[in-house]
Amino acid sequence: MKLHDLQKTFAEALVLPKSIAEDAKWRSRGETAFTGNDRVTPIGQLDIYREQFWIRHVNCLREDFPVLLALAGDEKFEAIVRDYLEAFPPKKFQLRHLGENLADFLATRDDALLADLARVEWAFIDAFDAPDAPPLDPTTIASIAEDDWPNARLVLHPSLQLLRLAYPTNQMRDAWWADKDKRPIERVERAEANVVVYRHKTMLLYTEVLEALPFEMLSLLAAGKSLGAAGDELAASTGRGPEIEATIGEWFTRWSALGWISLVL
Amino acid sequence: MNFREQHRIPDLGIGVGFRPKHAKDVLDAGGSKDVAWYEIVSENYMVGGGRLLDDLARLREAYTVIPHGVCMSIGAVDKLDEEYLARLKKLVRAIDPPYFTDHLCFCKASGLDLHDLLPLPYTKEAIEHLVPRIRHVQNTIEKPFALENVSSYLAYKSSEMTEWELIAEIAEKADCGILLDVNNVYVSAFNHGFDAEKFIDGIPAERVVQIHLAGHTDKGTYLLDTHSDHVKDEVWSLYQRAIERTGAVSTLVEWDEQIPAFDVLAREAALAKKHRDQVLK
Repeated sequence: MKLHDLQKTFAEALVLPKSIAEDAKWRSRGETAFTGNDRVTPIGQLDIYREQFWIRHVNCLREDFPVLLALAGDEKFEAIVRDYLEAFPPKKFQLRHLGENLADFLATRDDALLADLARVEWAFIDAFDAPDAPPLDPTTIASIAEDDWPNARLVLHPSLQLLRLAYPTNQMRDAWWADKDKRPIERVERAEANVVVYRHKTMLLYTEVLEALPFEMLSLLAAGKSLGAAGDELAASTGRGPEIEATIGEWFTRWSALGWISLVL
Repeated sequence: MNFREQHRIPDLGIGVGFRPKHAKDVLDAGGSKDVAWYEIVSENYMVGGGRLLDDLARLREAYTVIPHGVCMSIGAVDKLDEEYLARLKKLVRAIDPPYFTDHLCFCKASGLDLHDLLPLPYTKEAIEHLVPRIRHVQNTIEKPFALENVSSYLAYKSSEMTEWELIAEIAEKADCGILLDVNNVYVSAFNHGFDAEKFIDGIPAERVVQIHLAGHTDKGTYLLDTHSDHVKDEVWSLYQRAIERTGAVSTLVEWDEQIPAFDVLAREAALAKKHRDQVLK
């Protein structure tokens, strides 16, 4: 068997969710390609790799989504992620990316709470190893003329993850991680929440819950809008221009203190 | 001048795999006198920033660190991933190790990343495919490159030679180093019924830059390379046979599943030193 054909055989076989050891078609393919031995049949040898494929990837998702696992229970979690892996087989070399579509996948299954919990857990993974960036230099702020602020653009710390949640699943995550006894996790009621996950300069990860107005402002700034354009857009969409104008300075101070702003351009 | 001399590959003594679980033991508590160096899984550190890179910088300040890849997929028929190589080069430059390593296997096929060290057939076709790719990687990264023999659970009917003959020919033609995983030799020997000592004796000793030791799991009808246990007695014996041939070569104890407390791992490193010293003296 040529390299190309045997590698194609692996790709076809490993993603199959059930054992191929007793499958007549695969048994025949196995006898053509593999030697087998007195303990393992030829296709049984390939099936070892297929089994390991599923064990490895399911375990990886168990590690990346421990709160989802705690909520769903082992059996349901495994069923979910097996369906997920069939829909999204791994295509990136780092296992770190394996769960990047799980929240969207759960959303298509009409389970908004599980989807939001997956989004929160995934945000922590993305924040954990996002690029570093220095905190905002105070002299930068002092050097900007008052007239230039409306055109200024903020560069946010790369670890910042902005989540609009239908369920405040950040509370479930926080509760699970804080509970040393790992008691059964309680579901939260539906209630919109604007959550920022970020990495502090100490390298620890935190969440911050924001009111709608500053969260929308931050989202517009994250999208690359200038301070002036973001403020105008937000004022137009909410009708709360005076409130924005009165509090934007406080937001800026708070966000700078948390290390969310790296640069003002 | 042999490969190790030509590239000034040092004997680093006994090392262990650096795992985040042991970061405090190693970086804050001073590690162990029995652990002289550390190996990292390259891909875990090919990231933007954060604690892992911070810890790596601290580790590098105190120890020699060898990057050991698990995802290069050198044997795949897919094109080599140049973006992967660029990121690996950035990491290697940051660490400045005497060499870097990966596995003689394939991991990708048909656009999927299967995240396993999948075995290649021992054929002339495989050699012709691998040699230019290895040379390309070595030239791109600009450091000596060593490839590790993998554990395998299947054997191909199309194989035309033994695994050690394949490795010897590839290493010679590509002019690369060998990372000899003695546990993998033992596991594959059991699974395929060959003589593990013949494998050890058939490897060009002068190209071995590093040796791996690990535990495996008996699954009844086959052995699985799990890195989840102590090194078995039979593997220690093979290790001593390898050291007899290679001389003083850097040795690493791997433990990646059910990772024990750092002192347990350090004791396994001390045991490796004892076995190595018995041969070298």
